[in-house]
Amino acid sequence: MAKQNSSYMKSLQGKINLSLLFIVAAAVVSFMVVSIDQSRSAVRNTAIKYTSQMIEMMNGSIDSYITNMGNIAQIVAEDSDVRSFLFMETDGAELSERYGEKVSELFRTLTDASSDICNIGIISENGRYLINDSGTEINPYAGYESMEWYQKALSGEEVITSSHVQNIVYNEFPWVVTLSREIPGRKNGAGAVLFVDLNFRSISDLCEKTSLGTKGYVYIMDKEGNLIYHPRQRLIYSGLLEEEFTPDMQQEEKVVFSADGQKLYTISRSVVTGWTMVGVTYLDEMMSGTNRLRNLFYLMAVVLVGVALTLSIFLTDMVTKPLRKLRETMKAVEDGNFDVEIKEPDTGDEISDLFRSFRSMILKIRELIEQNNAEQLEKRKSELNALQAQINPHFLYNTLDSIIWMAEGGNRRDVVLMTSSLAKLLRKSISNKNEMVTLEEEIEYTRSYLTIQKMRYVDKLEYEIEVEPAIRWIEVVKLIIQPLVENAIYHGIKYKEGKGLVRIEGGFGEDRIVLRVIDNGVGMTKEQLSHVFDERETDTRKNGVGVLNVHRRIQLHYGIEYGLSFESTVGEGTTVKIYLPLPEMLRGRGNREDR
Amino acid sequence: MMKEKNGHKYILLLIVVVTILAALSVFLYSGGENDERNNELLVRIVLMPKGVNDANVFWADVVEGAEIAALERNVELTVLAPSFETEIEVQNRLIEEAIEMRPDAIVLAPADYTKTIPYAKKVEEAGIKLVILDSVMEKEMGCCVVATDNLKAGWRMGNYMKPYLTKDSVIGIIEHIKGTSTATEREQGLRDALGEYEENIVDIRFGESSYDKSYEQTKEMLTENPDIDVIFTLNEDSSAGAARAVRDMGLGGEISMVGFDSSQEEIQFLESGIFDAIVVQRPVNMGYLGISMAYQAARSQDVPGEVESGSVLITKETIYTEENQKLLFPFRESDRE
Repeated sequence: MAKQNSSYMKSLQGKINLSLLFIVAAAVVSFMVVSIDQSRSAVRNTAIKYTSQMIEMMNGSIDSYITNMGNIAQIVAEDSDVRSFLFMETDGAELSERYGEKVSELFRTLTDASSDICNIGIISENGRYLINDSGTEINPYAGYESMEWYQKALSGEEVITSSHVQNIVYNEFPWVVTLSREIPGRKNGAGAVLFVDLNFRSISDLCEKTSLGTKGYVYIMDKEGNLIYHPRQRLIYSGLLEEEFTPDMQQEEKVVFSADGQKLYTISRSVVTGWTMVGVTYLDEMMSGTNRLRNLFYLMAVVLVGVALTLSIFLTDMVTKPLRKLRETMKAVEDGNFDVEIKEPDTGDEISDLFRSFRSMILKIRELIEQNNAEQLEKRKSELNALQAQINPHFLYNTLDSIIWMAEGGNRRDVVLMTSSLAKLLRKSISNKNEMVTLEEEIEYTRSYLTIQKMRYVDKLEYEIEVEPAIRWIEVVKLIIQPLVENAIYHGIKYKEGKGLVRIEGGFGEDRIVLRVIDNGVGMTKEQLSHVFDERETDTRKNGVGVLNVHRRIQLHYGIEYGLSFESTVGEGTTVKIYLPLPEMLRGRGNREDR
Repeated sequence: MMKEKNGHKYILLLIVVVTILAALSVFLYSGGENDERNNELLVRIVLMPKGVNDANVFWADVVEGAEIAALERNVELTVLAPSFETEIEVQNRLIEEAIEMRPDAIVLAPADYTKTIPYAKKVEEAGIKLVILDSVMEKEMGCCVVATDNLKAGWRMGNYMKPYLTKDSVIGIIEHIKGTSTATEREQGLRDALGEYEENIVDIRFGESSYDKSYEQTKEMLTENPDIDVIFTLNEDSSAGAARAVRDMGLGGEISMVGFDSSQEEIQFLESGIFDAIVVQRPVNMGYLGISMAYQAARSQDVPGEVESGSVLITKETIYTEENQKLLFPFRESDRE
C-alpha cells in the first residue's frame, strides 16, 4: 500500500494532482481567511457604528427628558400663582386654598402634558408645600430637609440628582430623577424649593428596551461615578457582581474594547446631565452572522477543492492515459516486438504528435531491420550461389576422360553429344548473372547433366522427365534439380545392381508447385533419412553443392514453408519433393492428383 | 491496469478527505469556540419558588436574580410556582410537571418542611440536579442549598438590640410557622445574640404566615404580657402584622421592634419609627446564586454544599443609602408578573 502510494506520488498524474490540490487548497484557504477576516471587521465596524448611534440616540432622549424637566421647572418658577402661594404673607386658609387650586391646576396640566413626570412639588422653608395637587399629603417621616436636592437648591444651585427613591409623598416610593431649583422668596424672607421628579422608569425602560444582542446591555453613571442605572445593579451593590468596565470620566474615547476583546464598550457623555452612558456589546453575538458566513465558506471551500480535484483527476487522466499507452507500446518494442499496433489518439495535441513520431520511428526501425535482413539474405544467397556454381572437378575429369575414351573409340556422334552437353553445363554454371532461371532452363540443364551421366553409366542409368508444360516457364531459383539428381545417382543408383531410373516430375500441388526427383536406388534407412540435412552430410566432394544448399536456397528465397522433403524406403528408392510457390497467375489451378 | 487505476483513485480520495478534514479542524479550532459555547452548553433549568404573586416582593426578586444569572450564562430558564406559599399541593404537582420537562437542573424552594420531601426525591431519582433554595427540609436533599444564613440573620436582630437591653427588658417573639427551618434557625440565632438576655423572652407566638393571625397574636400577647417592651418578628407577615398591632394599640415608640424581610408597609413602619430596625434578606442574590449553582451542577462541576445569599440590617437612617434603596425598592415594572 505504502509502496503503491509512493509510486503514485512519483507518477506524473500524482504529481500534477497533488500540486494542483495544494495550490487550490492554499488559494481557497487564503481566500477564506482573508474574506472571513474582512467580513468580521466589516461586521465589527457596523456593530460599533450601530451601538454608537444607538447610545447617542438614547443619550439624546434622556437629555430631552431632562430639558423638558428644566422647562417645566422654568414655567413653575415664573408662575405668579406659585409665588403667591408660597410667599403670601397672610396665613388665611382661604387664600392659600385659592392659590392652591390654581397651582394644582397648573401642575396637573404640566404632568398631563408629559407622562414621564411623576411629581411636581414646591416646598417653602416655612413649611408651605404643594405636591402635585393640594390634596397630596407629604410624608411626615420623609426628612426632605436633609436631602441634598433640597439643601443645594436652597443655596441657589440647580440640581439634577442621580436616580433615587422619592419618599416625599406618603405611601409612595417611586424611583425618580429629581430636578430641583430655588424659588427665591421676598427680600430676606424664607425661600422655597421647586422640584420635578422624572419617573425613572422612562429611563430604565429606554435602557432595557435597547437591543444590544441578548446579552448586551446599557448602563448609566453620574459624574461621581455612581450607578444611575444598571440592569444588574442590585447584584453589584451586594458585591456579587462587578461591572468590569468603568469609563474614565476625562477620557474622550468613545469606543473601548475589553481586555479579552470579547466586549465592546460604547461611551456617550451627556452635556446636559453630565451622565455617562455605556453600551456593553458582546462581540461574539454580533459575530454570529459571520459565523454563518464562515460555515458557508467552509462548504464552498470543500466543494471548490472537490471540483478542482475531480477536474484535475479527469484532466491528468486524459493526459497520462495516452502517455501510459505509449509507455506500454514502447515496452513492447523494448521486448522486441516491432509489429505492435500504434494507434494515436485523435486529440491533435502534443501527445498525438509524440505518437506520430514514435510510429514513424518504429516504421523506420522496422524498415532498417528488414533491409538488414534482406542484405543478410542476399549475402548468404550469393555465398550459396558461389558454392552452387562450382562443378565437381571429379565429374569434369571423369566426363573429359569419358570423352577421350569415346574419341579413341571413334565414336564421333557420342563425343559430340557429350561434349556439347558438357559445354551447355559449363555455360550455365558460368553464367552466374541471373539467379533465377525458368524451370525449362533448369530442366534442360539437368537433362544435359543426365545425358552426360547416362553416357558414362551406359547400362546403369535411365532417366525420364515429365513436367507439366504449364509450369515450365515459371522462374525458379537455379540449380535446384540437378544437385538432387546428382545425389540420386551417387547415393541411390550407383550402389544398385542393375539399371537405375531417375525420374523427374513436375506439377501442381494444392497451393504450390511440387517437383519430384524419384530414383529407384538403394534407398535410405530411417536413420539416414533423419540426417539428410545434417551439416556433415554436405560434403561437397561427395555431394556437389549438396542437398542442404538446395534446401536453404529455396527457403531463403521463398520462405520456410517451401523447400525439400525426403521419402525413402530401403531397397526401393528415394523420392525428393521440391516445394515451390505457385505463381499468382496459376493460383486455383492446383492439381490434387499431383500431391 | 484497471485495478491499479482504482488504487490511485482510492489513494487520491484518501488524500482529499484527509486534507479537507485537516483544514476544517484547523478552522473549527481557530474560530469555532463561540458556536460551541452557544449550542452545546445550553443548560435548561426550572426555578420553583414557593409562590409568586404581585404582592410578593421577595419571590419576584428571586426570579429577577435568576433571570440575570440565566442571561449571563447560556441557560434556558423556566419558572414554575403556585400563587401562594401555602399551596403546598400545587407546588408538589408542579414539581412532577417540572420533572416531565426533563431539565438539567431544578432549583426548588420547598414549600413544606416534610410534605415536599417525596417530590424532591423524585427529582433526584430522575437524575436531575437539585438545588434547594431559601428553606431546607427535614431530610437533607439536593446537591446544594442556597439560602440566607438564618442563624446569622437572627443573630443580627439580637445583636442590634442587645446594647439597648437591660435586665428589666421583657421580650416577645412573633414567628411564622412552628417547626419550619427558617423560623427555628432565626430564633436560635436571635437567642445566641441575646446571650444573658435570652431569659428575658417571655412569650413566643406563631402567626402562621398570615397578617391577620400575626396581628391577633401580637395583640393577645401584649394584652397578656403588658410589660413587653421589645418585640422580634421573624418573617414578613409576622413583622407587618405585629407592627400594625403595635401601631393600633398606640404603643409605637414605647415598644422597640426589630422586624424581618421588607415590604413597602414595613418600610413605612421603619420610617415612622414603629420598627427600630429590620433585617432583610437578599432575594436577588439568592435567585442569582441558585441558578449559578444549578448551572455548575448541571455541567458536573463541583458545587459547595451550602451557599449563603446574605442578609442586611437596616435602620431608619440607612433606608436611602445608595445600596439599600436599591435593595429595598426594586425598580422593575410592577406588572411584570
